[in-house]
Amino acid sequence: MANVIGKSIVIDGEISGDEDLVVQGTVKGKIMLKESLLVESSGTVEADIQTQNVEISGAVTGDIQAFSKVEIKSDGRVVGNIKAPRILIADGAKFKGNVDMDR
Amino acid sequence: MADTNTIVGQTILIKGNLQGDEDLTVQGRIEGSVHLSKTLIVEPTGVVKAEVSVCNAIISGIMVGNVNATESVELAETGRMIGDIRAPRVIITEGARFKGQVDMGDVASNRESPVRAVVAKPARFEPARKASATAARPTPVPARPAPARAEPKPEPHIEKKELVDEEGASKKKIVVRKRR
Amino acid sequence: MANEPPGVIGKGIAIRGNLSGEGDLIIEGTVEGEISLKNHLTIEETGVVRADIKSERLTIRGEMSGNIEASDRVAIQANARVTSDIKAPVVVIEDGARFKGKVDMDVELPDGIL
Repeated sequence: MANVIGKSIVIDGEISGDEDLVVQGTVKGKIMLKESLLVESSGTVEADIQTQNVEISGAVTGDIQAFSKVEIKSDGRVVGNIKAPRILIADGAKFKGNVDMDR
Repeated sequence: MADTNTIVGQTILIKGNLQGDEDLTVQGRIEGSVHLSKTLIVEPTGVVKAEVSVCNAIISGIMVGNVNATESVELAETGRMIGDIRAPRVIITEGARFKGQVDMGDVASNRESPVRAVVAKPARFEPARKASATAARPTPVPARPAPARAEPKPEPHIEKKELVDEEGASKKKIVVRKRR
Repeated sequence: MANEPPGVIGKGIAIRGNLSGEGDLIIEGTVEGEISLKNHLTIEETGVVRADIKSERLTIRGEMSGNIEASDRVAIQANARVTSDIKAPVVVIEDGARFKGKVDMDVELPDGIL
């Protein structure tokens, strides 16, 4: 079953792991995953993120480093610097920060 | 069951404080603190090394730390726990391993000297015992990072019947009445 | 093992002092003092025991306070009310039992947990 951090959950600290993670709640601190992070529209992440892929429909404040791809969906909001080989920012998404696509 | 359920998968490690108003299933590892208004489920693969305050806890994995539950703590067959439990209902299933203190509130045998009690006053203590059973439940036990539980103190709002018998004043229980 | 019928301390009996022996024992009455029993001790619902207990197995359905050391197992059943520090390899607390005290079982944890 998928990893879900539910809507009412607030985590203040570090999350690490080797599988996909879905955030519907709030995470503050640091997220390090070998797989994908999905921040759903109810999700709030105030953390530095290091993962394979990130898909953001919610709010992220923090620096993001992805080894494959960062995707900010149309309802996503990101404040922070993004470093990833592929970066997609959808129409309607809000983003403030630097983008670094150097390999 | 219709509520959302947060799952922390097997390879996931969370270090820090976690709080929320929904059930939490731990198959991975949590270190720090957990505060939930619902149920914490530690599955056989799960490891929780934290101060925990929840409504209910069902532990089939490993729990290291103190657990404060407003309703119940169940240590299932595969559960292993080192720490103190404070909850009105505590169940330790055959096969579970546990080291620590259990505090279910007022256990009290309200009888004084048992030898005397049976002879002299068998039925008189029923109401007091009932009061303690129901009163223990709605009291949310406040989360404390390191419950200092050196002295088991009586639940404050429990009415104790005054017992005076020939044993004299030394064994006399004090009436404690507190209204909220 | 159970060749001998268990000893019974009946409802009307109250004992104050030390109690020791081999074989199984059922307490329906009251005992205050110290109990050292080689085999299985059962405290029935009507039983009231205030004693430090050493035995192989202990089953509690009644009321008990005092320290417990059992070499095999301690079962605290649904209606029991127990205040005790327990040392035993297996301790079972059933739903509905009331217990306050310490439990000391051997808890082996994988490396890196503590």
